[in-house]
Amino acid sequence: MTSAYVPGLEGIVAAQTAISMVDGENGRLVYRGYVIADLAEDMSFEEVAHLLWFGRLPTRAELDALTLELAGSRNLTPAATAALNALPVDTDPMDVLRSIVSVQGVEHKLEKPTIALAVHAAASFPTILANFHRRQSGLGPVTPRADLGLAANYLYTLNGKESSPEIVRALNTYLVLLADHGMNASTFTARVIASTESDLASSLVGAVGALKGPAHGGAPSAVIEQLDQMGTPENAEPWMREARKRKVKFMGFGHRIYRVYDPRARILKAMCERMNPKFFALASQVEETALRILHEEHPERPQSTNVEFYSAGVLQAIGLPKTYFTPTFAISRVAGWTAHVLEQVANNRIIRPQSEYIGPEPRKPVPLAERG
Amino acid sequence: MTEFSPGLEGIVAAETAVSEVDGANGRLIYRGGYLIEDLAPIATFEEIAYLLWHGELPNPSELSELRRQMADSRHLNDAALGALMSMDPETDPMDTLRTVVSAQGASKTLNKPSLAEAISLTAVFPTIVGAAYRRRQGKDLVEPRDDLDHAANLLWMMEGTEPPPERAGWVGLYLVLLADHGLNASTFAARVVASTGSDLASCVVGAIGALKGPAHGGATLAARSMLDKIGSADNAERWLNDANARHERFAGFGHRVYRTYDPRAKILREMAKTAAPELHKTAARTEELALQILHEAHPERPNATNVDFWASVVLTGAGIPKEMFTCIFATSRVAGWTAHVLEALADLRIIRPASRWTGPEGGRKPMQLAKR
Repeated sequence: MTSAYVPGLEGIVAAQTAISMVDGENGRLVYRGYVIADLAEDMSFEEVAHLLWFGRLPTRAELDALTLELAGSRNLTPAATAALNALPVDTDPMDVLRSIVSVQGVEHKLEKPTIALAVHAAASFPTILANFHRRQSGLGPVTPRADLGLAANYLYTLNGKESSPEIVRALNTYLVLLADHGMNASTFTARVIASTESDLASSLVGAVGALKGPAHGGAPSAVIEQLDQMGTPENAEPWMREARKRKVKFMGFGHRIYRVYDPRARILKAMCERMNPKFFALASQVEETALRILHEEHPERPQSTNVEFYSAGVLQAIGLPKTYFTPTFAISRVAGWTAHVLEQVANNRIIRPQSEYIGPEPRKPVPLAERG
Repeated sequence: MTEFSPGLEGIVAAETAVSEVDGANGRLIYRGGYLIEDLAPIATFEEIAYLLWHGELPNPSELSELRRQMADSRHLNDAALGALMSMDPETDPMDTLRTVVSAQGASKTLNKPSLAEAISLTAVFPTIVGAAYRRRQGKDLVEPRDDLDHAANLLWMMEGTEPPPERAGWVGLYLVLLADHGLNASTFAARVVASTGSDLASCVVGAIGALKGPAHGGATLAARSMLDKIGSADNAERWLNDANARHERFAGFGHRVYRTYDPRAKILREMAKTAAPELHKTAARTEELALQILHEAHPERPNATNVDFWASVVLTGAGIPKEMFTCIFATSRVAGWTAHVLEALADLRIIRPASRWTGPEGGRKPMQLAKR
């Protein structure tokens, strides 16, 4: 039996999962039973990664073991370092990540995905990006510090110095908030690849490729670019009205699933107000105006500021360059990707949907010499 | 939301004019409405690639233009060469392919997938596959030959000597037959990545990752390994009975879509008589007995020798070492992957399915670390 074609597989159940649930009606994001607001403030990214991988929050001893394992897996292989140094310095960091995750994960014979491999992969993402950023800045790589948590170490290896506790805490919250989100396109890509019994690195390379797309993870830097064009809160509405005439999309708005305010955006908005008042002054004005204009155009649609809108302000306050916004998203989401791959592998069936043929009916080909 | 169909079986995930697998009637239709058995005797891989990309077979001048473009695109850029040379020569060749394609496609800005890029990525696969193979052999790399067609250049890149036309012909036939096959897992992976607005290299590396899995592209190698274990036609009966008693799956049998004999397998079976007469005997006897055993066990299921079974015999006859089988598959299928991505661009909608929640109800409160 074949079902009717549903564009984008909207509403089609493609997997059963116990990792995260996006409850769009009620604006809830649940990680393994815990709503995101209860995790965001107090948990380290490592605790949340443990939750996603093992299905429960760690005890102190488990957390210590995981932290140690992550810290011990931060170095790149010689092949990954050499490949990273062969890429032109102006390469899009997402392409760097895609390529170096691929090298870092090479194997001699096919290995089944495991939690140990998931930990190693997650630990390597920040190092790949920090090392490339250092190279872009004409600086040598900074040796990762085992005494720092994942968020603190990422900033340390990027900047060559420790960041303030407030900044580290903000990045940690961002990483916790973005770590998983149901069957989004990159996670689904990872599961499709895993379903052929391929290796973990293959799933992650595919997921990074999907996250790169502007319709998925590639938009937060575009939010900043749009705000830069508006310049001031007073200029927001005229710019936006003008932009709409040219069919320009407002960056940071719209989501297929949420019918109410995205719970992650709510938390990021509050952080943004505290950490990045200049951004917030403009952004909150833009948000109010965008929602008003969008409502005028489509009163039937729910209002929807998405997670990327205020992410941009938070990541900017943390001091990340724009080109590292989407890669930093990947540092977080790799926890979810790997958890989904492990879940897929535990109860696998190859993901091979049908297509509907819309081409011509069968006919005979003409040999080359007779083709006009 | 719909019922959950594991593996998205029977779910239509795309409309396509690139190819159609008519499983009920055992037909594979390539773009333009041509049956695979009509194309195989008259068309080269380049003509098929043109067909999949443009929707019609090329005339002689269009074909020579494509051949020139492909011949001009056979060189690796510095980033790709750097990534290639950084890797241990023993690396799984699919991992080498995944990595080097990623590096070859790395860029400063996000580019929309284009036909020109589809042509150049397809053209460079034999260079990467040949290099991966020669490095495994401890041999120096050779330069691509712009006077050879795609299939002959592939063998040249691997062997460093000009292949006899006969062997190039068998490889060429294989490349024609495997170039597209509906929404298989790797093609679907490519389309999911494309749906986010990402770039062509991201789509292709995701597809390579999916093809690597033993349940997908790795099946040709598995079929050949089984034939190696069987060793001779005389040994087939004992080996298959023993394997059956151990509940071991027979490699090269079974397909989700075909209900009759796979038309590609039929063509390859015929070709195998000339390409690999000795192995053909073993394989023919193996097929006969395996289908018998499978029929006894499940009389309700259709007979199903899949393409991997006979492809493994023809590729062996063409002199391709078995560890390179999946890479050769990729060298063919990249034409289909890129054609699907270009098709998907025309109506880009993010592929973001739903998932069914099987975890605990949302809302339980996390316990603080010290109390766990």
